[in-house]
Amino acid sequence: MDFVNTAVAWFLGLGSTVMVPIILIVLGLVFRAGLSKSIRGGVTTGVGLAGLFLVVDLIIAALQPATQALADRLGVSLALVDVNWADAGIAWGWPGVAGVILGIIVVNLILVVLKLQKTIWTDVWSYWHGSALGGFVWGLTGNVTYGVIGAVVYLTLGAWMSDLTAKRYQEFNEMPGIGVPCGTTVQASLFAIPVMWVIDRIPGLKDWDASPEGLRKTFGLVGEPVILGAVLGIIIGIAAGYNVQGILALGMQVATMMLILPRMVSIIAEGLIPITQSVVMFMRERFKDRELFVAVDCAVLLGHPAVMASAVILFPLSVLLAAVLPGVEMLPIASLAVIPFWAGAVVPYTRGNVVKTVIVLLLFSIPFMYFSTLTAGEHTAAFASMGQFTEQIEAGTQLASWDMGGDPLGFIILGIYKLLGLSVL
Amino acid sequence: MGKLIVVACGAGINTSTIAEDMIRERLDAEGLEDVTVKRILMADIDGYVGQMNLIVSMMKIYREFDVPQVKGMPFLIGTMDEKQALLDEIVELIRA
Repeated sequence: MDFVNTAVAWFLGLGSTVMVPIILIVLGLVFRAGLSKSIRGGVTTGVGLAGLFLVVDLIIAALQPATQALADRLGVSLALVDVNWADAGIAWGWPGVAGVILGIIVVNLILVVLKLQKTIWTDVWSYWHGSALGGFVWGLTGNVTYGVIGAVVYLTLGAWMSDLTAKRYQEFNEMPGIGVPCGTTVQASLFAIPVMWVIDRIPGLKDWDASPEGLRKTFGLVGEPVILGAVLGIIIGIAAGYNVQGILALGMQVATMMLILPRMVSIIAEGLIPITQSVVMFMRERFKDRELFVAVDCAVLLGHPAVMASAVILFPLSVLLAAVLPGVEMLPIASLAVIPFWAGAVVPYTRGNVVKTVIVLLLFSIPFMYFSTLTAGEHTAAFASMGQFTEQIEAGTQLASWDMGGDPLGFIILGIYKLLGLSVL
Repeated sequence: MGKLIVVACGAGINTSTIAEDMIRERLDAEGLEDVTVKRILMADIDGYVGQMNLIVSMMKIYREFDVPQVKGMPFLIGTMDEKQALLDEIVELIRA
């Protein structure tokens, strides 16, 4: 037993950028993806993780002093650093990731065979939402098994939400057979249903719309991540009382982050392709004759012109809202990147109406603002347990995000663990 | 003169990567070495007008271009047969 414990400790001590490639290569072989593809995939994902952590180091170094200066100057508390998709680093780098992958495939297969679920969880990349939550649970409880259970529950509920929304997505986007069980995105759709019911009963608001093409042309430049980042960095620099040199430097740093962070995430995703393709084949061949929804990434919902048009309006509005709402301690910057995905999930319900999409999502973002603040502790603990950013965290830096830190369903699951008295924080 | 296939998706993170991988593998097998496959954001597509010869889109496109477009969804959710059929179509279009 001592030997096993020592071996496990040694393995975990390798750090995520070494551990994850090994896990993925083994999983690739289990799913019969082929040796060379599995090795290439595993190493690629490890490279993506290493790159992601480098970028987050840069984010913390640039934004921590800036948000602190801003908060001191305005006399408000906005001390949390927004790392958003760095949570994908927790998701693929925490010790429970293999358990999450195998766990959700087994649970989903059972539920589909029993005809209790129609969405087959083929989109391996999007397991990250659940796996990141699992990492938070691990940070909260110090227990890997609790983390895996939390992750599998979250992903299973996601598949049921996909069952409820799939038909509408398919019809609106003309994509027969798909379903989108991705974390926060599918919750935005379910949130849109009651809000739209109310909006459609308010005279005046009911028929108000804005032209998506006109908006895209007018604000198009600000909708591009680099420009949005530069503008936000400059505004934060000015508000923080920096000198001209500091303001311009912060503008470039935030612009860098907005472009490079998703690029690193895409490298992680690239490495998962061999496993994803094997899982799709396995599931499709087994359930050929039934009407099922095949899980795909929420990116397929981004096609409608109203998506980016709504997003460019929401970017400044949600930053302002987060700045004025009392008790919100994270100014969204990196997290703004998730807004287009939410918009993609909402436009099938607003029928592409920009004004209604903006109203729905501004309301939807409010719980994210509070929950991201409230989960900063376990979020930071998850990074610390992985041995990432330890110096900055010891110096008092707290990390937060909308996606997954602000996720309502994830917040409830974390709350259940707290109620059961399992928190060690 | 080499040809260019653009694989367009909404985020350039996950979906287009899968399609790019499969198309590249098939082109290599066909010996079509002068064809480039590039994964792009749908929002950037205007920059490729005049250079691209074929669009493979991972989501619904609401515009027309002067080159053929095919829907790449089978790369994500198709069975082996559906993927092969789509790859055959792409090879045929790029050879034309």
